Amino acid sequence: MSALVALDRAAVGYGGRPILEAVDLVVVPGDFLAVVGPNGGGKTTVLLSLLGALPLVGGRLVRPRPVRVGYVPQRDHVDAIWPFSAGEVALMGRVPFIGPWRRPGAADREKVMEAMARVGMEELAGKAFGEMSGGERQRTLIARALAAEPELLALDEPTNGMDPAAELATMDLLRELHGGGRLAIVMVSHRLENVANYARTLAFVDKDKALFRVGPLDAMLKPEALGALYGRAVAVREENGRRFVYPTSAAQANGGGRP
Amino acid sequence: MSSLRDFLAAREIWEVPLAASVVAGALLGFLGVYVVLRRTVFVSAALTQLSTLGLVLTLLVEERVHIETEHALEQLGVAMAFSVAGALVLGAFRARRLPAEASVGAAWVAGSALVVLGTSRLVHAAHDLGGMVFGNAVAVSAAELGMIALVALVCTTVHAVFAKEIAFASFDPETARALGMPVRLWDAALFLTIGLAIPAAARALGALPVFAFLTLPAAAALLLRVGFRPAFALAGAFGVLAAASGYVLSWLLELPTGATMVVIAALLAAPGALSRAVRG
Repeated sequence: MSALVALDRAAVGYGGRPILEAVDLVVVPGDFLAVVGPNGGGKTTVLLSLLGALPLVGGRLVRPRPVRVGYVPQRDHVDAIWPFSAGEVALMGRVPFIGPWRRPGAADREKVMEAMARVGMEELAGKAFGEMSGGERQRTLIARALAAEPELLALDEPTNGMDPAAELATMDLLRELHGGGRLAIVMVSHRLENVANYARTLAFVDKDKALFRVGPLDAMLKPEALGALYGRAVAVREENGRRFVYPTSAAQANGGGRP
Repeated sequence: MSSLRDFLAAREIWEVPLAASVVAGALLGFLGVYVVLRRTVFVSAALTQLSTLGLVLTLLVEERVHIETEHALEQLGVAMAFSVAGALVLGAFRARRLPAEASVGAAWVAGSALVVLGTSRLVHAAHDLGGMVFGNAVAVSAAELGMIALVALVCTTVHAVFAKEIAFASFDPETARALGMPVRLWDAALFLTIGLAIPAAARALGALPVFAFLTLPAAAALLLRVGFRPAFALAGAFGVLAAASGYVLSWLLELPTGATMVVIAALLAAPGALSRAVRG
């Protein structure tokens, strides 16, 4: 299958200084790729480089054809002081396709309302973004990404700081949007349990160890590999069809003890 | 104290400066919404200082080459060049290795010091500079009013045509960049308008009130929670109200014009601040 977007021997970093080199990463249509690694390991840098939002220090960004991208930043990167309504925030997803000189038309507003409905937010389109709960803001940002009618949906820590119910709802929403492969998803996350139960492909990133590895989820989700990535023992357990991944002491990991 | 009748009788004296103040108040109020929301209030303070530095350097050169007549538009042009260059460097193309506060603080401090040094070398024009920095309620010419109106027209056109791009790039630059938008271009467009507006408005209001007008009317509008687009109209209206009523009151009560305008602009922000404090 041909790539939607790929990094070819890429050096990624800031201000001309690479933090990771020789990164090879291919995202194909219908993929669900999760990028994991320790805090400050370079996950967001890889994601932004893949999207072309951060210039590469070396190597190539490959886009065989123009790809419509939807992007959901970390929720706390968006300043809630701005007096936008949820609908106005979602409408921004259409801005790159409208072009200068023109105002959003009825078709754009219709796409926005469809996107708001898909995330269960159609009733809250008029509510002030700054007065929303964390979960509502996250859904609004996902609606904005969907309003772009993306082929590739990229998310940076989409469940960061959420309570368990909101986190599960967000992950279920992503599974529904992925639709078994209708939409390609690339997600940066430090929540290994979400990754283990939703992703198809996994990438390990840690700039301090000069580490970048990518492969199918089942091949990558091994306690030894995760332990090496995080620098402590990690257990992987499956119960009633759901995977549980948690840090543990070495003794627990070897003996299969409960968390 | 002058009477209102005296004021009205002196219309020929005040009509051009008052018109210039009103246009400047509306323009700064409008642009101030971005200044406040982008948390770049002190960028405008630094630009005000750089714009003054441009004026001082022009006056120094004029004295050194013995230019006797005043060239107000040329002075304004140099002030604009300094302000626009500063706006682009501090706002749109800032070096990311330094914290924003450090770059802005350095520009403000260095600008202020150079203004003091330059002024100390002025022989005849130091008095003129006072009017330029603190505003001169009677000395705005029709040509300068025309220049202020032209700048306002350019700024309004840029913001009308590229409203959604500038808003998106300002609100969430990371996402805008990820969607392929040229964020630096839209930042440059915004800071270009701010860089042009500051020296133009300073001719009517004075450099120090310009800083206040880029903050207070926008803060007053935003505190009333009116939404994004209405905030621009309301902030512009507050700017007009503060400039016009401040001008008239300063004349009637024989008070310094710029300071009177600033106090009225601050009073306009009081209802919103009070309502926020009560609501929590």
